[in-house]
Amino acid sequence: MIQGDLSIILPEVVLSVYAMAALIGAVYTSKDKLAPTLTWATAALMAAMAVWTATGDASARTAFGGMFIDDGFARFAKVAILLGGASVLVMSQDYLSRRDALPFEFPLLVALSTVGMMVMVSAGDLIALYMGLELQSLSLYVIASMRRDSVRSTEAGLKYFVLGALSSGLLLFGSSLIYGYAGTTSFAGIVEAAQHGHVSLGLLFGLVLLISGMTFKISAVPFHMWTPDVYEGAPTPVTAFFATAPKVAAMGMIARALFEAFGGMSSDWGQVLALLAFLSMVLGAVAGIGQRDIKRLMAYSSITHMGFALMGLAAGTQFGVQAMLIYMAIYVTMNVGTFAFILSMEKDGEPVTEIDSLNLYAQREPGRALAMLLLLFSLAGVPPLLGFFGKFYVLRAALDAGLVWLAVAGALASVVAAFYYLRIVFYMYFGKETDGAVAGGSPVLWVFLAVAAAINVLGVINLFGVEGAAAFAAGALVQ
Amino acid sequence: MAGIGAQGLDSGKNILTHMGKFRIERTGGIPLSLFLIVALPFLGSVLPALLIRAGRNSAYLSTAAVTLLALVGLLLNAPAVMRGETVTARLDWLPGLGLNANFFLDGLGLLFAGLILGIGLLIIIYARFYLSREDPMGQFYSYLLLFQGAMVGIVLSDNVLLLLIFWELTSLSSFLLIGYWRHLPEGRQGARMALAVTGAGGLAMIAGMLLLGHVAGSYDLTAILDQREAIQASPLYLPALVLILLGCFTKSAQFPFHFWLPHAMAAPTPVSAYLHSATMVKAGLFLMARMWPVLSGTEAWFYLVGTTGLLTMLIGAVIALFKDDLKALLAFSTVSHLGLITMLLGFGTKAAAIGAVFHIINHATFKAALFMTAGIVDHAAHTRDIKRLGGLRKLMPTTFTLATVAALSMAGIPPLNGFLSKEMMLEEAAHTVWADYGWLVPTLATLAALFSAAYSFRYVAHVFLGPVRDDYPTEPHDPGAGMWMPPALLTLLVVLIGLFPMAMASTLVETAAGAVTGGQVQQVHLKLWHGMTPALVMSIIAIAGGVVLLGAHGWLDRVWNAMPRPEAKEIFDALVGAATRASRAVTDTLHDGSMTRYGAILLAFVLALTGYAWFSGTLAAPTRRTMEIAIIPLLGWIGVILATALVVIFHRNRLVTLVLIGVVGLVVSLAFTYLSAPDLALTQISVEVVTVVLMLLALNFLPRETPLESSPMRRMRDAALSIAAGLGVGGLIYALMVRDFAFPTISDYHLANSYSGGGGTNVVNVILVDFRGYDTFGEITVLGIAAIVIFAVTRAVLNSPVRAYLLNRKPSEPQSGDAHPMIMVVATRMMMPVALMVATYIFLRGHNLPGGGFIAGLIAAIALVMQYMASGFSWAAERLRFPYSALIGSGVLVAAATGIGSWLAGKPFLTSAFGYFHFPPLEKFELATAMLFDLGVFLAVVGAVLLALESLARFAWRPGIASEFPMDINPAREVEETTAEEAR
Repeated sequence: MIQGDLSIILPEVVLSVYAMAALIGAVYTSKDKLAPTLTWATAALMAAMAVWTATGDASARTAFGGMFIDDGFARFAKVAILLGGASVLVMSQDYLSRRDALPFEFPLLVALSTVGMMVMVSAGDLIALYMGLELQSLSLYVIASMRRDSVRSTEAGLKYFVLGALSSGLLLFGSSLIYGYAGTTSFAGIVEAAQHGHVSLGLLFGLVLLISGMTFKISAVPFHMWTPDVYEGAPTPVTAFFATAPKVAAMGMIARALFEAFGGMSSDWGQVLALLAFLSMVLGAVAGIGQRDIKRLMAYSSITHMGFALMGLAAGTQFGVQAMLIYMAIYVTMNVGTFAFILSMEKDGEPVTEIDSLNLYAQREPGRALAMLLLLFSLAGVPPLLGFFGKFYVLRAALDAGLVWLAVAGALASVVAAFYYLRIVFYMYFGKETDGAVAGGSPVLWVFLAVAAAINVLGVINLFGVEGAAAFAAGALVQ
Repeated sequence: MAGIGAQGLDSGKNILTHMGKFRIERTGGIPLSLFLIVALPFLGSVLPALLIRAGRNSAYLSTAAVTLLALVGLLLNAPAVMRGETVTARLDWLPGLGLNANFFLDGLGLLFAGLILGIGLLIIIYARFYLSREDPMGQFYSYLLLFQGAMVGIVLSDNVLLLLIFWELTSLSSFLLIGYWRHLPEGRQGARMALAVTGAGGLAMIAGMLLLGHVAGSYDLTAILDQREAIQASPLYLPALVLILLGCFTKSAQFPFHFWLPHAMAAPTPVSAYLHSATMVKAGLFLMARMWPVLSGTEAWFYLVGTTGLLTMLIGAVIALFKDDLKALLAFSTVSHLGLITMLLGFGTKAAAIGAVFHIINHATFKAALFMTAGIVDHAAHTRDIKRLGGLRKLMPTTFTLATVAALSMAGIPPLNGFLSKEMMLEEAAHTVWADYGWLVPTLATLAALFSAAYSFRYVAHVFLGPVRDDYPTEPHDPGAGMWMPPALLTLLVVLIGLFPMAMASTLVETAAGAVTGGQVQQVHLKLWHGMTPALVMSIIAIAGGVVLLGAHGWLDRVWNAMPRPEAKEIFDALVGAATRASRAVTDTLHDGSMTRYGAILLAFVLALTGYAWFSGTLAAPTRRTMEIAIIPLLGWIGVILATALVVIFHRNRLVTLVLIGVVGLVVSLAFTYLSAPDLALTQISVEVVTVVLMLLALNFLPRETPLESSPMRRMRDAALSIAAGLGVGGLIYALMVRDFAFPTISDYHLANSYSGGGGTNVVNVILVDFRGYDTFGEITVLGIAAIVIFAVTRAVLNSPVRAYLLNRKPSEPQSGDAHPMIMVVATRMMMPVALMVATYIFLRGHNLPGGGFIAGLIAAIALVMQYMASGFSWAAERLRFPYSALIGSGVLVAAATGIGSWLAGKPFLTSAFGYFHFPPLEKFELATAMLFDLGVFLAVVGAVLLALESLARFAWRPGIASEFPMDINPAREVEETTAEEAR
């Protein structure tokens, strides 16, 4: 029996054992000298796990008495998480090595947090959910403050930790209320107690607290406060990681918990999510306009994007989940490309992140500027680039579920948000004559940037078939 | 979509097998040619970029060939469309999204596609001769084809989503077209405004289309066009209409979004002629015409579209008269004419729609010709400033002729085509009533026509007529045939349509108007002479007035320039600036970096959410009775509350706070005892002591009091939030406690099986060492690791510069003179064996009575810690025989060995066994393997607590902190001293 369980969580086991073995191995051998090798090895292993997860049998199986669910939904999210994480690792290696800021723990912490994320999207029980969440969060707290000699990085890590602990507290409090009123921590059990119409007050309290705790991780407004500070303060590769895999994992976790445990109360949590989605879209769009730092801008951008993805979930339908998954897959692609660009921004060999350093960038680096232009248009949701399809899916999901006001608000928020993406384009093409950033960094960054831009253009043809896979994944979650 | 989900549940497949497949279906007559017509420009756009290496001509010829091919393809379909058929081509793209690559060609599509490809061809020829050698011609033609493809896509789309895609592609490609124009500093602002305005409008339109498709149940245009009643009855009609019109108005530069178009005219003339006059700006008109059957006919439509069009027409015409830049004049005239067409569409009548369609044709012909002549003048004279031109009639006779004919058509002079459609406009305006004001529309329309005539005359009079000047920047001359042929062709059309409207245009207008109005249009009568109609009178007034205005232009110009008037560019910049400032204000308020503010906002929102839960949930009646409140527990409760409140009040004084926290802890332990949980009470009290000791240690490094930094307002806010949150949590817990759980708790199971299964009557202990032994095993391991981490971190920190800081630190309090009070030293030393005995006792009874390894470990640890505190660090450390890490390790190993032992008996890990033994003279007692396990717990706890505290205490260590002798009276030392003295 235990063998069966273990075979289901084998990818997680492989990754954890690798991380622990590598940790000990590196401590007793050459430590940080091994870091570049470890980074590439971790990325390769994560990519291999992604391939394994994608090609394995996707029929629904459970392990450990329902604590762990392996189904199409989990696999879809895991592939996005693993690929997103692996890409960021590969992109960060050269950047950090050249600045002598790559400790060997970095790739291993990323691997461990990835394990946490995989557990999050596979959780079939509040306890498993919390374990995955904390494994992920603890690793992230550490890498957020990885640059110990930088005040900003330390401050960012500390803020993230304190607020994260607060949100964990909320989540735990909510979970214990749910346990108290439903009598079980397993999603399959909770869903029987939680049916709309005769929901006990305690369960409802538990639900809203659970949502509060979980949406902190996707930085939905008003639980987003940490995001701009952490995005700006953390080293850029860490920011890139924050912007990609953890967001998918947290979204997957929210979908998993709400649909599996509270599927009968979708009208209750749908309203809460709709409110959060609305606030996130509007605040992210409005606040982004005034930003001067591109990393801070990306923080607000991610807040807006999470609002859109939440809109898909708020619909509470299978189509909504499908829309959310497609949105997240596209979001990760766009962000990997954008951060590849940000990582390559340099001035006199030093990284720069000011937006106005991109003045007339197109004249210095026409190729990169064009790729970035495509990505920015895609981020803004301008057709025909991929970003538009993501937006359109969630908007349609919201409309079909009767959330007309939310869909209209979302479309208008995207108009406002488009302004700040396009502003970067103007800087790049029509800025003032100043000596600005040039492209630096390894060719790897250029490859990622170009590939991401190409995906955003070519994806128009049929979204690389992600639509069907997402539909299958959503079908696994919403019966 | 449901279908996809259902089929997605097949088991035994990986997620990749569910990836979408691309399905192509084709129906209809010669449908593929529609795909080809749209695809050709896109496919062809790579050619000029590649062929530019082979020379400018090959790039140019390939571009022209591609366009010609597409045009031929279109014309092959024309006969069928003229017969009233609709050519369609369908391709399922993303069916789950409702996005199909469906194209259809009807009269309206044919008209627009013809304009786009036809004028496109002329522009391509014209540009070949207009562009200079330094211009990046390959890129220019590539982007031009991309743009052309997008435009053709818009007009042929049979799916609103597809239309949106092409719509925004025009924004993108037009941006690229201008963006690669390196030597264009003044174009920057224009390009920025153009993209910002049209891009934003397009995004708003997405929402509108989404609503429309939602109401209609399909995103296919042909399906939507059938649902006029359903759509107009829907409550979503108005929002959808407004959002779609936002897209149309921004794209077609309608008031108040008209300002971007003149600024965008900084682009090279072929671009302005093609994008900003003939095609892109007409996309908005096209869409309004396309949606006419479903959206028009309502009051909202009339007032929104009709009024906007009327205003735009008037304002554009007035401004155009006072522009000195040739292209600015033409730009505002374009705005005005677009307004005219918008207004006609807004009227919502069939006759007006026919007029709109006809004017689209006419405007495209004369305006493109005018732009090209303006470009020729610019090219030849190197200036576009009207004030520096004049008298070109003799120098550039060909250009003069072409420009005059086109301009007169624009002014509405018979027998040119502009006259015909302007008559139709005036005719419609004459009997349109705007909100009970019958005179309003005719008057304003006549006024607009008057200004229109004036600026058209000015274009001819001030540029070509008058005396020849001798201060042109360069000597003007007529260009080569490549440049004047395209406008000549268009001017020929202007004349021919004017003279023979029925032969030239009636069929096209008929089919196109039929497509707009969604039905068969009766025979269209296009003719020059309708008799002495009101429209003719208005027209005569307009032309006469135009001449008068031109005469008075010099004077009017001075008045105009003296008048304050809003400058669109400045307003735009101010708006952007205001938005940026507003955004910064928001972020500065919300994200000022202060953790307390973040926390407060977060908490407030959670409170609001729980408030929502409170009002929407149901609460069953309590099922449990509350206990009687006796006087002692009441006092205890008051004590806790009081202590807690005092903690808040005195929280700046750290020592007082610590004491009060200790009080809270003690009362809680008492409460545990009172509620029959002695085990918990014991644990609580030992943990309490260890914690307080730890915190005392920390106080050593902190000032006595924290400074007061927050304002009273903020403290009020925080107090309110905390009270609300505290009451909420308390209420929830109370509600939870007065009701039974949803299921029987596991406690009963443990109570029932504790003795029979685990051999112990202390259920808590049996749970720890038996039922949940595996958890405990994990916990002691973690505890040990935590202690070792504290040890490691301390070592690392104390080896860093921090150590110097610590050593040089001045404590805020003077040290007590007596570091080791004798009474305390004596007491702790005497108590130590007693305490260890108690620990042993507690340990042994643990299985059946309150106690156990964990509590025993804490007691032993406290006994040892007291030695450190009383007699000093060095004294205690000297007497330490073995390292604490060894204690931890042995504890974990003992526990592990116990667990493994059960394997020998063929049982799973950590299965416990117990038996009863009787060794005289002792009484019968029980021995269980669980006790061995408990020993492991005991050792690990002692080791971990002491290692952690000892490590942390190292921070406080300073030379001379302890007296040399912790105890003054030491017989052994006295003996030593005596012997030493004696030796001396």
